[in-house]
Amino acid sequence: MSFSNEQMTRYSRHIILKEIGVKGQKRLMEGRVLIIGAGGLGSPAALYLAAAGVGVIGIADADEVDLSNLQRQIIHTTADIGRPKVQSAREKMEAINPDIKVNAYQTLAVADNILDLITDYDFVIDGSDNFPAKFLINDACVIARKPFSHAGIIRFQGQLMTYVPGKGPCYRCVFDNPPPPDAVPTCRQAGVIGAMGGVIGSLQAMEAVKYLAGAGELLTGFLLTYDALEMKFRKVKLPDKAGGCAVCGEHPAITKPFDYAPAVCNIEP
Amino acid sequence: MILTVAGTKKEYPPDLTVTKLLEAEKVEMPMYVTVSLNDEFLKREEFDDTLLKENDSVEFLYFMGGGF
Amino acid sequence: MADYAVDQTVDITDVVCPVTFVKAKVALEELDAGQILSIRMNDGEPVQNVPRSVKEEGHKILKLLDNGDGTWSLIVRKE
Repeated sequence: MSFSNEQMTRYSRHIILKEIGVKGQKRLMEGRVLIIGAGGLGSPAALYLAAAGVGVIGIADADEVDLSNLQRQIIHTTADIGRPKVQSAREKMEAINPDIKVNAYQTLAVADNILDLITDYDFVIDGSDNFPAKFLINDACVIARKPFSHAGIIRFQGQLMTYVPGKGPCYRCVFDNPPPPDAVPTCRQAGVIGAMGGVIGSLQAMEAVKYLAGAGELLTGFLLTYDALEMKFRKVKLPDKAGGCAVCGEHPAITKPFDYAPAVCNIEP
Repeated sequence: MILTVAGTKKEYPPDLTVTKLLEAEKVEMPMYVTVSLNDEFLKREEFDDTLLKENDSVEFLYFMGGGF
Repeated sequence: MADYAVDQTVDITDVVCPVTFVKAKVALEELDAGQILSIRMNDGEPVQNVPRSVKEEGHKILKLLDNGDGTWSLIVRKE
């Protein structure tokens, strides 16, 4: 692959970087990333990965754009209300960078389709908004040996960690099972500051870019937490691995993805 | 007794179990919090019986479900 | 230029900073270590900055030749 003058200009700020350079940019252009969820986390991740020239970006989400999304889901506009999120997202990504290919999957990620969804990708970004999906993505990525970035945001807080097969704990090592539905505030009940998706979703894009380009250190074995009110980041060291982890342990009880009952949101958007 | 809790060194009373520490730190919904003690995951059923000792390092890891 | 067996040439007079350096970097990437690249660049900003940037990347600058037509040729050995 050789660069056109236009590509050299478009990616000049990457190519100039020693840690990315020509090789790193080529790897990005040959890279494939799947983003699950075109919401608060997925929006900035999708925009930055498109801008970075990641060759193939998949985006999966079953929902349509709602007025209440627009406070934070910056890939969608007021004119997109009522349209499938993945279609809205694809248009913006292709508008930023016609070089890339976007695969839009208008579907919920569930046990029946998750392995098919992730199989063609090098890296997965968990931008889902509920625990059943987060555990499903973790289990599927561990089973299929796919690196992925987990993240969660709520109120003024956010966190993320990166899983790479054979390197550090998985999400289930840290949290062995989802909390009972509604035990921990999720989705609509708690609220979230709009820019939180921007901070954490951009960090997820950063991990994907570093993974593809082979630059720097990934957030494996650490949980990065961010408290916006105190303006405090903490990189919390995680134990190596939970020996008895049900999915990545030595004798896993979970050998194929399965669905937890979805959490019920009592409050309408 | 000096403990490092969530990265901060502080003085705590002696004979403190993990359960009592969770109370002292006003951790919300402690039954859903993952605890690591000196870089090892601690099982939830061990919270009541695990006595903390001088210079222990404890981290609380919270569920965060949103992505919205 | 006769002193050196130039393996490849690249013309960066058609682009502006910082793509000048980027284009040189891409051309160097395609060579093997020890091969020699001649980079044709404009007078002024490119000739002031590109040689330094190329050197910072760890390559060996062999010569800078004034072509007498407002352009320069930077002879670089890839390291």
